[in-house]
Amino acid sequence: MDSLVTFLRLTLLSMVPFVLAAQGTMLGGRTGVFNVAQEGIMLVGASLGFIGSYLAGGSTLVGIAAAVLVGGIFGLALAYFTTTLKMNQFVIGLSLLFIGTGLSTLIPKLVIGVTLSQPLIPTLQDLPIPLLSQIPFLGTVLFSHNILVYFAIVLSIGLWYFLFRTQLGLELRSVGENPNAADSLGINTSKHRYVTAILGGMLIGLAGAYLPMVYTGTFTEGMVKGRGWLTIALTFFAGWSPLPVLYGSLFFAGIEVASYRFQAGGIAIPYQYLLMVPYLATILVMMFTFRKTRVPGFLGNNYDREKRSL
Amino acid sequence: MTIVRKLVPYVIAIIASFAAAGIFIALTGANVFQAYETILFTSFRTPNGFVQTLLKFIPLTLQALAFTIPLTAGKFNMGGEGQMIVGAIAASVVGILGADLPAVILLPLVVLAGVAAGAIWGFIPAWLLYKFNINEILTSMLLNFVSFQIIDLVATGSLRDPVAGHPTTVQIGQGGFLPMLIKNPPLNAGLILALLVAAGVYLYTTRTTGGYELVATGANPRAAAVFGINVKRMFVFSIVLAGAIAGLSGVIEVAGVQHRLIVGLQHNFLVLGVIIALISRGNNLAVPFVAFFIAILEIGASAMQRTMNVPIEMVFIVEALVLLFVLLSDVFRRR
Repeated sequence: MDSLVTFLRLTLLSMVPFVLAAQGTMLGGRTGVFNVAQEGIMLVGASLGFIGSYLAGGSTLVGIAAAVLVGGIFGLALAYFTTTLKMNQFVIGLSLLFIGTGLSTLIPKLVIGVTLSQPLIPTLQDLPIPLLSQIPFLGTVLFSHNILVYFAIVLSIGLWYFLFRTQLGLELRSVGENPNAADSLGINTSKHRYVTAILGGMLIGLAGAYLPMVYTGTFTEGMVKGRGWLTIALTFFAGWSPLPVLYGSLFFAGIEVASYRFQAGGIAIPYQYLLMVPYLATILVMMFTFRKTRVPGFLGNNYDREKRSL
Repeated sequence: MTIVRKLVPYVIAIIASFAAAGIFIALTGANVFQAYETILFTSFRTPNGFVQTLLKFIPLTLQALAFTIPLTAGKFNMGGEGQMIVGAIAASVVGILGADLPAVILLPLVVLAGVAAGAIWGFIPAWLLYKFNINEILTSMLLNFVSFQIIDLVATGSLRDPVAGHPTTVQIGQGGFLPMLIKNPPLNAGLILALLVAAGVYLYTTRTTGGYELVATGANPRAAAVFGINVKRMFVFSIVLAGAIAGLSGVIEVAGVQHRLIVGLQHNFLVLGVIIALISRGNNLAVPFVAFFIAILEIGASAMQRTMNVPIEMVFIVEALVLLFVLLSDVFRRR
């Protein structure tokens, strides 16, 4: 029972980077901007989140602000190059990925210098919800987490409501399905693409900052470990919808936690096999779901209103 | 005249990115011009520097080709790193187990094992694309992370060299070593292999029917299909060929340079390979030249880090910026 509580609690805790990054990816994709720079934006978010907090004397808020800001800048760059300059989205995404990866290790070296052990920042405090956290079992699993866990859940529900229950959400989705039609109805397609790409970048940057702020207390090179790429897969088989993204993140987080707990449990298989599991499981799930999933019709394309046909 | 005009955007891109990096270098308090000099001329100051550059050039060229070949058919192979790693693993396992075999037998076996392993590793995303229509970018990338664990498993397993501190296998048999072109500083025959592959790929894509079908597939898959080209088979073929070439780069690292399997041998080759391929705009003829330029920067960057304490990532940013500026120049040409 105790180990089940711990497992579920850790799964919820580890779900956050997946939720944030995948909702960011989903949001951009809903207007047709396909971001593939997650790994790089998360790395630079983790790096600046750490540095920001470190420079501000351990202020979590400054760290988060720094990560969100840099994520937004990357989102803006993606929107500008693809929407205004109409360059290939995948190629631009890769360039941003590389720049993000490079900056993530460069900045700590410039600010802190090369040290034997990186300094530590305080990690996010748990914020038990009064009363609710007293419930046996559920209280520990659901209601005594750090603030970003709650934020991830509220965000997912909020995005669902926004995209599928409001006029603006409908307009936004139409840009990703058929910008030609949207444009003819007077919807400003460029504006929607810019806004979602920037907000998406911010969420992805925040997802990166979660890693040093909750897991390790410091930044290490390549600490995102493929989570950015897993996020893309997750967004695909969540059908680019907010609520399935939330459930899918739980699944991903469950696999991640399970593979680490097996490792700690001293089971007699080499740990390398366990560390392969998240990637292999993702590929396996894609085999069964990829054909059925719904993808925004205009995903990955750039809209040019002066062209006659799409 | 046209070649000069083609080079103009590259020159501007290089100057602009160096200028941008100069600002960062100045922030570290280092002498900017001394840093530039180190980056650009380390490769040409000593014979050793030049050989080091060539040794970087080999895997970079092969990794870039492993990206441009599927790109010609309109597909993206992000698995060059993993294909290199499994190639290296296969080469070293064969090289260690067959250590007593004579070179005539062992060397071809080592090379073939590595190339085949890379091809198989490339076949997985290709097959998933063919059979299930799964995006090859994702699967090839995810397989890299799997290969990181496999190499760790092999290098810490029964073949481990107990004396080495870092996870490393014991040496492969002498018969599995690639012949040396120069003894000191050591330069192996992998250079010739890489140049042959580069020439072969160029001739294949420009002078043969199969290569033409590859180009046609990439240019317009629907039209190609109408004219009887099996487009999906071309996708598979291009990614498998890319895997084989990436596998060869792993073989050369093992049989030519290290003579053993070392965890982390892939360095940053995937990313640099993609950068080279994209700076070349997928042009196979341009790849070796761009790869040589990037090799110079990489060798210069390590020297800069050693002697001036400027982080090596600085040059990585320069390379990414060169790519971005080259891509931007396309936009301005369109107008």
